[in-house]
Amino acid sequence: MTHQADSKRRSFLKGAISASTLALVASSGLLLPRRLLAHWPSDAFTAESVEDALLALLGEAEVADAKQIAFKLGAPPSYAVNGASVPVEVRSDLKNIERIAILVEKNPNPLAMSVELTPDVVLPFKSMIKVAEDSEVIAVVRADGKLYRTSRDIAVDIGGCA
Amino acid sequence: MAIKARDRIRAKLIDEQTIVRVLLAHPMHTGRGKNEQGELIPAEFIQDIRCWRNGREVLTIKCGTATARNPYFSFQLAGGASGDKIMVRWVDNLGAKGIAETTLS
Repeated sequence: MTHQADSKRRSFLKGAISASTLALVASSGLLLPRRLLAHWPSDAFTAESVEDALLALLGEAEVADAKQIAFKLGAPPSYAVNGASVPVEVRSDLKNIERIAILVEKNPNPLAMSVELTPDVVLPFKSMIKVAEDSEVIAVVRADGKLYRTSRDIAVDIGGCA
Repeated sequence: MAIKARDRIRAKLIDEQTIVRVLLAHPMHTGRGKNEQGELIPAEFIQDIRCWRNGREVLTIKCGTATARNPYFSFQLAGGASGDKIMVRWVDNLGAKGIAETTLS
C-alpha cells in the first residue's frame, strides 16, 4: 500500500514538473493537498498511463470489454482533422451507470474527463476532447459496480494538446 | 481572457426527456501550450462542472486538461416538465467560477 501511494505520488510530481506547472501546483495544490484531492482527483488526472489513471480514479484497472457500450468518436468514420476538439459520444444499454471515464491513451495525461451520473441522467453523453496524436481513445463505464470498457482508434492531422 | 464570451445552456423537452446542451466559454490551457513569445501558458482549465435540476444535483463532470477549449457537453435527463430550472456551475483550477441557468419551456 505504501509502495502504491509512493508510486502515485511520484507520477503526480513527475507529471507536474513535465507539464511545467510546478509553480502552479505549489501555489494551489501542495499547500492544500487534501482539499484539492477531495475536490478533484488530481492523481487520476495527472497519471501518465491509462492503467494508473484508472487505478487512481476507480481503484481498479481490471476491466471487462463490453459490447453494451456504443462509443462514437470524431466525425464519421472515426477521423478528426483537428485534435483540439474531437467529438465523443457515449451510449449504453447498461443499467445503473454510475460513472463514465474517457481516456486518450497517448495524451500526456490520458484521463480526459470523468462523469458521475445519477439515475436522472440518460445517455447519450456527448462532449469534445483534445487528442495529441493518433491514439486509442477509451471509454470506461462503471455500472452496478462493474467496469466495462470500449475503445476506438482515432487519426489526428493536427495534434490538439497545446 | 481577451474575448469575454458567455456560458450558454439550452434545455429542450423531446420525447419526455430533457435534452441539455452546455457550452462554456473557457480557454482550457493545459499548461503545455506556448504563446507567441514562446513562453509556456500556465495551466488554466475547468476541473469541476455540476448540473442541477430544480435544486437537485444530477450530474458531476470532472475534467482534465484534455477537455477541448470552450467545452461542450450534451446529455439527457429522464422526464422533465415545463418550468424546470436547469443550472450548471463550473470551477477551474485557479478558482474562477461560472454559472449558467435556463428554464425548460
